[in-house]
Amino acid sequence: MKKRKFNFMWFSFYAFLLLIGASWYFVIGVEKASLTELFSNENMEYASKFFKGLLGVGEEEIAFLNQESWSDAFTLSIETLQMSIMAIGFSTIVMFLTVIPAARNVADGSMTLSKKWYRWFVFGLIRISYIFSRAIPELVWAMIVIFIFKPGILPGAIALALHNFGILGKLCAEVIEDTDSRPIRNLASSGANPAQILMYGVFPTVLPKFLTYILYRWEVIMRTTIVVGFVGAGGLGQQFKLSMSFFHYTEITLLLICYLILVFIADYISEKSRYFVK
Amino acid sequence: MSKKNIIELNQISKNYERKIALSSLSFVVEKGETIALIGPSGAGKTTLLNMLASNFEPSSGEIFIDGRPLSQLTDRKKRAKKIGIIRQQFDLVGQLAVIHNVLAGRLADWGLGKSLLNLFIPQERQAATQALTRVGLPDKMYERTSNLSGGEQQRVALARLLMQKPEIILADEPVASLDPSRAEDILEMLTKIAKEEQQTVIASLHSVEYARKYFSRLIALKNGELFFDLPADQVTNKQLQELYQLKELK
Repeated sequence: MKKRKFNFMWFSFYAFLLLIGASWYFVIGVEKASLTELFSNENMEYASKFFKGLLGVGEEEIAFLNQESWSDAFTLSIETLQMSIMAIGFSTIVMFLTVIPAARNVADGSMTLSKKWYRWFVFGLIRISYIFSRAIPELVWAMIVIFIFKPGILPGAIALALHNFGILGKLCAEVIEDTDSRPIRNLASSGANPAQILMYGVFPTVLPKFLTYILYRWEVIMRTTIVVGFVGAGGLGQQFKLSMSFFHYTEITLLLICYLILVFIADYISEKSRYFVK
Repeated sequence: MSKKNIIELNQISKNYERKIALSSLSFVVEKGETIALIGPSGAGKTTLLNMLASNFEPSSGEIFIDGRPLSQLTDRKKRAKKIGIIRQQFDLVGQLAVIHNVLAGRLADWGLGKSLLNLFIPQERQAATQALTRVGLPDKMYERTSNLSGGEQQRVALARLLMQKPEIILADEPVASLDPSRAEDILEMLTKIAKEEQQTVIASLHSVEYARKYFSRLIALKNGELFFDLPADQVTNKQLQELYQLKELK
């Protein structure tokens, strides 16, 4: 038989078992939590009331069967779509303006085969701005922006753009860092200058990957509009919060359906466009 | 001297840390010669080519191109007119269409506007078609380069050199990743084009057979030193055997 060694793998396995045991002891022994309490009659009643509300059982006005509510929801969906497109548009533009100096291999000159003293300085500055931008959640950005602007879809879009710019920037800069340097060196040896190297060597290889990231973030932004909507940035999110506070459950169902449709649309578009790029 | 010396190496040495890659190498290349660099792996063939391509400078000694030191040939455009390089694949931009990779050979002469416009409306299409016809790929003009086979990609690289028109072609293992018939095809094309355009070729090769068949002069390196430097038809089998012989263990 093989001798069993006490290595890191076994240590972490035993630690894992111990952790599970200790956690359950704490939950049952110390906190006196019980599973049956979770399914108490009281809780069941709340839950059934909520879900019945969502389905419109016993309600007088059922929003998702009402044409007027649908047309209102449609307007709000368009607003949300606008907000998401504006947000991804803003962050894409700023990302494109900053992403090239933010790549490590551009900063050290190996990508364009030209060295400049200020490259690392610009690199650091942009990378810090990326970190700053994505370290702050959309919700916080929205609260700050709405503090300055009037509530509406523009400040919502700005808040979402501010958060996603850092994410897109980091992802796309890493795409540039991963590009194969061999074709680039060859372009340089056939006499291409740095700008021509970018046009012929870098952009053709990175743009399809950029597009994938941009479309994915767009889909995420579409969903996150609900979060910034909560603080008054307009669109479906704001209505969602209002319906929630007025206990208009059927409206919530309607809004969720709208979200579902929007995400389906985004999914379809990104699938198709990725197919075309390939 | 009837012919012009296009390349002159004067006591070239290259050290990496303590390891000697090349030690006091000297030879002269006349215009229009086709030279094969042979020798076992690690003999310094690639190091030599990289120095000629001015990817890095020799530790000591000097390289003269057309009688002028290579270190002074810093202008990208002028250097591209003098020296062109072909490597063992992976030197094309796979996502671009073939025609763009061919026309990349003209980037040295083009301004920014024309280079940008070219990506949308290919410029100098006639010249590109001509170059592709010479390498036998006129029908692949608008195909994505990464969809081409290895041999075809190497032909595209040759077509690019045709557009670039350098006086010297440096080829670093140009056929290393190709099967024998494709390899011969490429080498034949390379040497034929060089003859027609009166270009000088220096190619590193693994195969002695190809070297003797397609090149006029063989330069053999061993352990960073010149082992022999002879016209292709004067190299004997005994010399080749010695060249590739492994060092006997003590």
